[in-house]
Amino acid sequence: MSENTFNLNGRKQKIEIEPDTPLLWVIRDTLGYTGTKYGCGMGLCGACTVLLEGKAVRSCITPISTVEGKKVVTIEGLSKSGDHPLQKAWLEEQVAQCGYCQPGQIMAAAALLKTNPKPTDEEIKSAMSGNLCRCGTYLRITKAIRRVVEEGGV
Amino acid sequence: MKSYCSTESMNRRDFIKISFAAGMGMVIAVALPGCGEKPSPGTTIKGDAVERFTPNVFISVGDNEEIAITVHRQELGQGVRTALTQIIADELCAKWENIRVVQAPADDAYGDQLTGGSQSIQNNYVFLRNAGAVGREVLISAAAESWGVEKTTCYAESGMVFHKDSSKKETFGKLVALAAKQDVPFSATVDNKDPSDLKFIGMSMKRVDGPDIVTGKAIYGLDVRVPGMLFATVARSPVVGGKQASYKGEGALGVKGVSQIVPISNGVAVVADSTWAAIQGRNALEVTWEGGSADLSSDLLEKDLLEKASRGAQASAEDLTSFYTVSYLSHVPMEPMNCLADVKSDSFEVWAPTQNPQGALDKASAAANVKGAKKLNVPLVGGAFGRRLELSLGGASPISVDYVREATEISKAVGAPVHVVWTREDDIHNDMFHPLSVTRVRAKLSDIKTLKSSRSQVGGPVPTGNFRAVNMIPEAFAHEIFVDEFAAAVGIDPVELRKSFLPDRALAVVNLAAEKAGWGTPMEAGKGRGIAYHATWGVTHVAQVAEVSVQNGQVTVQRVVCAVDCGVVVNPDIVKAQMEGGIAFGLSCLLKKPITISGGQVQQSNFNDYPILRIDEMPAVEVYIVESDESPTGIGEMSNPVTAPAVINAIYAATGKRLRSMPIRTSELS
Repeated sequence: MSENTFNLNGRKQKIEIEPDTPLLWVIRDTLGYTGTKYGCGMGLCGACTVLLEGKAVRSCITPISTVEGKKVVTIEGLSKSGDHPLQKAWLEEQVAQCGYCQPGQIMAAAALLKTNPKPTDEEIKSAMSGNLCRCGTYLRITKAIRRVVEEGGV
Repeated sequence: MKSYCSTESMNRRDFIKISFAAGMGMVIAVALPGCGEKPSPGTTIKGDAVERFTPNVFISVGDNEEIAITVHRQELGQGVRTALTQIIADELCAKWENIRVVQAPADDAYGDQLTGGSQSIQNNYVFLRNAGAVGREVLISAAAESWGVEKTTCYAESGMVFHKDSSKKETFGKLVALAAKQDVPFSATVDNKDPSDLKFIGMSMKRVDGPDIVTGKAIYGLDVRVPGMLFATVARSPVVGGKQASYKGEGALGVKGVSQIVPISNGVAVVADSTWAAIQGRNALEVTWEGGSADLSSDLLEKDLLEKASRGAQASAEDLTSFYTVSYLSHVPMEPMNCLADVKSDSFEVWAPTQNPQGALDKASAAANVKGAKKLNVPLVGGAFGRRLELSLGGASPISVDYVREATEISKAVGAPVHVVWTREDDIHNDMFHPLSVTRVRAKLSDIKTLKSSRSQVGGPVPTGNFRAVNMIPEAFAHEIFVDEFAAAVGIDPVELRKSFLPDRALAVVNLAAEKAGWGTPMEAGKGRGIAYHATWGVTHVAQVAEVSVQNGQVTVQRVVCAVDCGVVVNPDIVKAQMEGGIAFGLSCLLKKPITISGGQVQQSNFNDYPILRIDEMPAVEVYIVESDESPTGIGEMSNPVTAPAVINAIYAATGKRLRSMPIRTSELS
């Protein structure tokens, strides 16, 4: 057990936890934010994607010790009232079916647009290829991201 | 117009106690319309300072203008919480913005809650329109009475009742008290709206759960939290049908957060204060297993099936005979199986992401074995595809598929709420797979209508179950590839050939898909088009044309054109989404990996060895929906069986190579 301090969605968190505990379970179980999902535990599906210092990481394979002193943003922290351009585009394009993978998809998209504000379709699909969707909403994910790009970005 | 009255699914009790979600107030007595009983008045009580008018179990109008609509089928991503709400709300003449959707807990008062077979709209369309119409008529009666005018001079629209002959109008909320005093008519005596007056049915109303999904507020099974809850993983036999012989718990108990080791019917549970501790604890648990079918091999089973299917199949110049294989396939919904159970000494409550709440409640009841109140809640479901329909195979079934019983047994043993979490590995190893099968199809080359098909599939001991379209997958696969083979053998275009045996609605979607795809126009070398048609459960007609490019033995599906006829369309965009999603699902089944079993053990564990389609592999898709006023039929399972044969046929057009297995064996292409 060791003490860990990091910033989650703009708030400082101070917890005592085993340092190798994946960030995913700290977010979900220790701190109670269930928007970030478990899908595989091996960084293969992207459902657990959060922003760490603005970059997309798979929280299921990110030990809590590595986020010491850093800023983490989950789907709950992407916007104050669900009005991030990606969230609005996701609703306009009616992307979600079951919706379970979508927080991870949106966070991965947010990270992409931070580093590449005008991606081509190929770049979108490449950046998003680590986020799986069993319901098959892929066409609408691409469309929603493209919509945000065309409407002025994030 | 008929009233819906199913004696097996509607309860004939006079009063049913139902409690609604928190914040809604308690409904003590509810009258059910129709079913040959005298109509009785709807009743309201004051709860949370909101008075309500509740004409039936699906509708509750509050004096604060909020309309609670209860949906009695589960949201798996197929849009049912939105579509069923549209149906009820349209006849009710509700204001869409004032609607709050309530998920029904398991309760026979709602009739059949089993969500599968693509039947939710098909089975409930008329019934729920009537339920909405009854509510509307009572509100109109209340307004008419308060104005001293004839009912026939009043109408409802967007949450209000209007008087045609004057400027009188009133909101539903203000009519609640008076409505509660009215007789609730038989649904058979109430008219449905004219098709031209429909406001929600036929419109692409936005998914009611969308805002919660994109903000992370949506609660799935894995997200339910109750005070004092614990988390558990279960060590289960790696060999199909095996049982624990003994275990050593010291290692597991040494993991911080682990509190107990609990042996249950099908394995050994590790109970902890967090999911991660439960997972780590199980890694440190030592279990010895015994028994089970350690000689099971999917390779041998397949060889056996092929050998049996080939018996008596003599080659003949007059016949065409072909064999098609479909491997074991795994559902892999993004949310793995899980269940939260809270068993007390005299009651229990369960939260299960299930397609079958009533069946799951029975399972929990049997495992809890306590008298008193019992409740089963269904949160949002992170994908189901048939996996969450059943919890056993009947008879001497392997019980490692039953996550509801696991949670209930553990909770009962530890005396606290317990959430059983299945890892992805657990979810794949203990799936109820799509069965391994070989289908033999034969026809006389002189007449396609002599086509005969017979399928052999493997039953136990490998657990198999319903997998999105079930037997329609191998049926469509075999039939539609065979038709293409037949066409090639006799030198007829595959679309032309289908004109000789497909009936009207079927042929219409084939022609539509072919036309929109530019069937018959030339394609570059290495590219090809294939067509397939199927009507899952014989009800909804779907045809797809796939365009593929095959380079160096690699298949790229570039475009799929889909035509669908599902009768009356409740929500066009949801139909389109289900066609798109089904195509992705069908492509995963065809182009990725099979589930294999060796030494009685499932060989695959996670998305590294059981991958699914990725975003950069998704083709362009066009969906064309046929306008129809036939009775509405389902869409959830109607797209995926068509995609695989369409792609196989496109591969043949591109390469001259005929593949006949799902998934394809890429060695056959090089």
